[in-house]
Amino acid sequence: MEAPPVTVMPVTGGAINMMEYLLQGSVLDQSLESLLHRLRGLCDDMEPESFADHELVYLLRGQQGNPFILRARRSLLKPTSPWHLRYLGQPEVGDKSRHALVRNCVDVAASHSLPDFLNEMGFRMDHEFAAKGHLFRKGQMKIVVSKLSRVHVPGNLENTEPLSLSYLVELSVLAPAGQDTVSEDMKSFAEQLKPLVHLEKIDPKRLM
Amino acid sequence: MIVYFRLAIFVVPIGCTVLSCGRNMQQREEKQLDASVESLVTRVAHLKGSLQSFIYKLENEYDRLTWPSVLDNFALLSGQLNTINKLLRNEKTPSYKSLVIIPLLLSPDRDEELAKLTEQRVPVFSHEIVPDHLRTKPDPEVEEQEKQLSAEAARIGPEAAQIQTLNKLCSNLLEKLNNPRDDRDSETSALRQNKPSFNLADTNALVAAVGFGKNLSKCRPPGSVAPGHTGQAMTSAGPTMQQVTIAGAAGHQPGMSGQVTQQQPGQPGKMPSNIKTNIKSASMHPYNR
Repeated sequence: MEAPPVTVMPVTGGAINMMEYLLQGSVLDQSLESLLHRLRGLCDDMEPESFADHELVYLLRGQQGNPFILRARRSLLKPTSPWHLRYLGQPEVGDKSRHALVRNCVDVAASHSLPDFLNEMGFRMDHEFAAKGHLFRKGQMKIVVSKLSRVHVPGNLENTEPLSLSYLVELSVLAPAGQDTVSEDMKSFAEQLKPLVHLEKIDPKRLM
Repeated sequence: MIVYFRLAIFVVPIGCTVLSCGRNMQQREEKQLDASVESLVTRVAHLKGSLQSFIYKLENEYDRLTWPSVLDNFALLSGQLNTINKLLRNEKTPSYKSLVIIPLLLSPDRDEELAKLTEQRVPVFSHEIVPDHLRTKPDPEVEEQEKQLSAEAARIGPEAAQIQTLNKLCSNLLEKLNNPRDDRDSETSALRQNKPSFNLADTNALVAAVGFGKNLSKCRPPGSVAPGHTGQAMTSAGPTMQQVTIAGAAGHQPGMSGQVTQQQPGQPGKMPSNIKTNIKSASMHPYNR
């Protein structure tokens, strides 16, 4: 039997390097409604999706310094959907003038045996949280407004406690590497959400 | 009613004799009159043209004519009548009421030049056409109607009170809208300052939580750091992270023994690093989030 033509072979890693462009901000609970109204007006006209997710962050510690981090996410509203495994690289420190945080991003779907699999591989769960909120879309851009909650008993999502009195607002775009016009569009969209939310490039290392 | 001024205009300026006002003023007035008459003639010609085309349309294309285009034509006519009115009201135009047109010569013979001028509509300048073309008063019926309308207009006078209140309301509103923005701005800016819509400390706390799990680890006691105190959060973040790793390492020990992995026994807490985790990304999948 002949080998299938090259074009239908699966794309192995390294072919398309997807980068995530990210801007983050927050909005207080009392101003959430006005933010949702504004987003509903600005974004593509579909009913805003609400979601409730449970995210587990796995670490693989090697002998070197930085552990390898993987994020596994599952939907609490749709328990039969596959799990979502994501790798986020270090933020690129190239251009100071770039308006958004850029980091390498790899997304895969996984079956429900993902936590066990990761444990077998040697990963250990570092922390978990629940995120509940709304998802908006505008073209390539994705706007997520979510409330993060701490999970007291691992695996038990019944009693969660909100981390703060604010909702986290994230504006992200998944694009191949090298497209810098994306951050321009993101910045102009972020302008439209001021003064309700200030979306900006927040370097997580600065907050450690 | 189209009146032709080109024919034998004999101007009798009332109230201004040649002797008293002097030549200059008379010349100036004549020039003004000429100019105003010229412009009036051109405007009337425009009106005539649009009327012509409208009539043609109504007669020939009536089955294809739509109501909006009829309205357009009417609007055009009304606009042109408006400009004529404005012209007549213009200060530069002398008052035509003081001018009289007197025919000098009437003849029942056909006048070729007149016929050419009027596009064959007035071939003879005779006794019959003079009352129609040189009339200065409207028809008796029309005059009656006009008198009725003006009487009614005068009668509506007492309703002026309503008009006045409406005017007052409108002017109030306009005043409020046009007022300098300082008054309004001070109120609204004060309100806005009292109700900020986001808290920077919260933003940092949330981003840190998502970024690397600050305050989220299962080993921390719940309800620890309040989101408002960034300073304290920063200083306590250091030791807590270390706490986490140590506790995490200690907690992993019991979990390890039950696993079937390639772990080296006797090295508690140390993750095997010889497992090469090579995650290939299959980007051609529909699960992109």
